[in-house]
Amino acid sequence: MGFEIPKMNYTGSIKEITLGKGDKAVTVGGESSYPFYLFEGNMPRKPRIAMEVYDYEPTDWPEAAVEPFKDVLGNPAAWAKKNVEVYGAEMIALQLRSIDPNGMNRSTEEAVKVTKIVVDAVDVPVIVWGVANPERDTEVLKAIAEQCAGENLIIGPVEEKDYKQIGAATIAYKHIAIASSPIDVNLAKQLNILLGNLGVPENQMIVNPTTGALGYGLEYSYSVIERIRMAALTQEDDKLQYPIICNLGFETWKTKEAKLPQADAPTLGDAKKRGILIECVTAMSLLLAGADILILRHPDSVKLINSMIAKMTAAE
Amino acid sequence: MAFIRIGENLNVMSKVLGPAMKERNAKPIQEMAVRETEAGVDYIEVNIGPAKKAGAEMMEWLVKTIQEVTDTPLSLDTTNMEATEAGLKVAKNPPLINSVSLQTSRIDKGLQMAKQYDADFIALLWSDGGMPRDVNERAMHAVDFIQKVTDIGLSTDKMWIDPILSPISVEINQVKACVEFMGMLKDIAPGIKSTGGLSNVSNGVPDELRTYLNIPYVIMLIKNGLTSAIVDAFDKNLTEAVHGRNDSLVRLISKVADGEKVDTSSLSDLEIKYVKSAKVLMGEILFSNAWLEV
Repeated sequence: MGFEIPKMNYTGSIKEITLGKGDKAVTVGGESSYPFYLFEGNMPRKPRIAMEVYDYEPTDWPEAAVEPFKDVLGNPAAWAKKNVEVYGAEMIALQLRSIDPNGMNRSTEEAVKVTKIVVDAVDVPVIVWGVANPERDTEVLKAIAEQCAGENLIIGPVEEKDYKQIGAATIAYKHIAIASSPIDVNLAKQLNILLGNLGVPENQMIVNPTTGALGYGLEYSYSVIERIRMAALTQEDDKLQYPIICNLGFETWKTKEAKLPQADAPTLGDAKKRGILIECVTAMSLLLAGADILILRHPDSVKLINSMIAKMTAAE
Repeated sequence: MAFIRIGENLNVMSKVLGPAMKERNAKPIQEMAVRETEAGVDYIEVNIGPAKKAGAEMMEWLVKTIQEVTDTPLSLDTTNMEATEAGLKVAKNPPLINSVSLQTSRIDKGLQMAKQYDADFIALLWSDGGMPRDVNERAMHAVDFIQKVTDIGLSTDKMWIDPILSPISVEINQVKACVEFMGMLKDIAPGIKSTGGLSNVSNGVPDELRTYLNIPYVIMLIKNGLTSAIVDAFDKNLTEAVHGRNDSLVRLISKVADGEKVDTSSLSDLEIKYVKSAKVLMGEILFSNAWLEV
């Protein structure tokens, strides 16, 4: 008798969720096996990448991260357009950092305005990411949900402290809620249950288990995502059968190692490559854990990760 | 052999009793001791925590204060061994030492103390490597511990092995490992006593829901041989269950623990809650604080 490779018996699958609208809408999810285990199940939708746009002109980024966007920093519409037209972005992630009450503290009106400008500038799905300050996010994200009704935006983070208000806004104005929990599988499930009880439809939710960068807790995020997928696929846990999003560009490019200039850290190698590789190693690890959507910063990272995804999902 | 309940409620973490301990205010402490006695516990825990400063004076005062109102034996819970000894010196009824750990720096002194005062002790499977990571490390530590106890000339009848129960919200595999370990312990050391801090399993869970985890968990542990636990003295359903006065519940949880299909259509709402809890404790369903609602 020949040797037979043992196969995992999957009893569940990930829900398919459509982000954005029109021709450029993106559908993620649908997996019926562990990530890239095409010999055991299907991965009908490839993982997708969103490129970052910031709502202000960043001044503390390393040169490598500034260079591709030199001509558009501080102009979110042009930045979003460049990401789509020049770098081929399939989605935009608008990072609303300027609304931070402990930072620039820009007004809700300004945040709504910049979001509308970005949404109008591109035809790809737009992810709108707040500052994880429940009070501020509630006000801003609710206003954005209302003002951009029907755009099927992807809005978050929606956390335990603000899920009722933001969740209700995503229901009322038909957007996708990003259920966000602090690197803990039980809390991730808990929030999904709460959002479900609130009435967020199954096809309007994705999960953000919170991402640590390489060297800054990546392994914890990896384990949590892995556990979520195990429960979803092998224990039929329908509270966890949602696509997973990882906001990692922001995390990786703020690390000390990504920021150190060449002169200050000659032993760490070429500063540009270093930053990109920190982003890519983090991204690839999260894909292997089970991420469906990655938010990345550098166009070279996007290119590299997209080519990896293409190769790993290619039919033999 | 009857299951032994050690009441956990006299605890320095309590908002009322903590300050009372520090201020030497006897009344709330004696009231709690009386209530626990009335609730029928076999031992009353006197939990003063690490008590690094003046722990000995506090323990001595507490033991004397509690003995004024009850004859229920005490379990002296602190990591300060001087405090333990101070309690042993003044205790009228033979107390339980909670605990002696397997750490090199602590075990000899702890066992000597148990020997000197002829006291039973909780043998905490906490080693130089910290918390045991799985069932195998627990088994290994249990064997080591039994050997050390025998070497020093103590009877293993004196030791109550504690596998270290831990919260379901932290690591389900540790929750499962303790159940599995109890099954192994029967083979490693037939007849040996065992115990554990039961409420740890529901640490972090909303207070009013903790009983739904504690009860099925203790049933699962008892089924595999657990002989005692440190418990909420006032959880009446738990008392009924551990003393075999709720056979149908014990049978129900046993079925789930054995992986049998349970038809929930004929069960009461309360029984369904216990079944759901047993399933999360088995790791069949991923835990969340809303585990009873799904």
